[in-house]
Amino acid sequence: MPRLESFDMKIKTGERGPNKAPSYEINGFKLDFDEMAGGNGPGETLELSGEPQSFPHSLVLIGPEDGAWDIAEVQLTYQVMGGPPYTVRLGAVTLDGESNLNIWYDRPPKVIDV
Amino acid sequence: MSSWFSKVFDKKKQEEAASTAAPADVAVKEPEAEPAMPKVRTVLSAPMLADEETPAVPEGGIAIKARIEDAKDTVTFLFDRQLLDGYSCWCPNRAAAEATSPLALAVFDAGGAATVLVYASTLAVTRDGTGRESLEEYARRLGGVLRQALQDGVAAATDDFLAGMPSEDEIRAQLQEVIDSEINPGIASHSGVITLNRVHGNTAYITMGGGCQGCAASSITLRQGIESSFRAVAPKLGALLDETDHQAGENPYFTDLPAGMGA
Repeated sequence: MPRLESFDMKIKTGERGPNKAPSYEINGFKLDFDEMAGGNGPGETLELSGEPQSFPHSLVLIGPEDGAWDIAEVQLTYQVMGGPPYTVRLGAVTLDGESNLNIWYDRPPKVIDV
Repeated sequence: MSSWFSKVFDKKKQEEAASTAAPADVAVKEPEAEPAMPKVRTVLSAPMLADEETPAVPEGGIAIKARIEDAKDTVTFLFDRQLLDGYSCWCPNRAAAEATSPLALAVFDAGGAATVLVYASTLAVTRDGTGRESLEEYARRLGGVLRQALQDGVAAATDDFLAGMPSEDEIRAQLQEVIDSEINPGIASHSGVITLNRVHGNTAYITMGGGCQGCAASSITLRQGIESSFRAVAPKLGALLDETDHQAGENPYFTDLPAGMGA
């Protein structure tokens, strides 16, 4: 498991959005994002960045306390120690007061044409 | 720049300082009878999206991609066509390939392969550790070998292999027997449980539940424990696929691999 220096997230909201700044949890500890831009109301895009500087056994985006959050798409870019940054893209998911979203993914395998 | 550790604990210190600095005339609250239990949330996994790109179709008309996994010393070739429809073919050595899969035999004869699995439109090769080339160089070389073999009409499985295939019910019964008598009793001490979801052709689909779900050692349990037990009782078993959502595991037995256990 690499040390995660920082990560950037871009979240595109679908039909329902909490319009409220989210938080994240690393290894069970809740943290605020270091930077935020945009919004997470319906149809909006929110850009976030966090700097955990730690080894992520778990990394989750916390769902809204009230109502539902329809996430249409998430783009995550990780800066890890000892390697170049990498990006993963996630599809649609709905979060609520009883759910969090896993946002930690190892570097995807390299795919080449042969 | 501060780490999450200092952010969390500095915040806690500030909150403690604020609470001790409260004015003396503030009414003392009655202690709450029962602290509220933290709400347990389900961790969801969103589907991972692939990059949209047009596959490069080389001369000869067979597009092949190679997924390179250095940590496992494995290359998985993804073809633009089915290699083996309805069945899969597992070759743990050259002799097995000779009896079952001419295409896998071409891989062994190219050198460097320890095992080959042919499944649907994929062919996965794990190296034997003897080669000097990088995994990417190996993948490019084998890609050429595989393309030539397919152009020459080399079959993914022999007729004898397919003709002697036991029924899905027979394979299911063999696997269920070993799960009930050997595997589940063995992993019960880790609160684990294996479920055979279905058998399609000679491919088995399982779920790893309880302490196995999300366990850092689950891939070792699958490869060295379950798979070897399955293959001992069902020699015609092809691919063994784990359908568990390991990200959603709520009580994994190991969250990190213990010292001495490789990934």
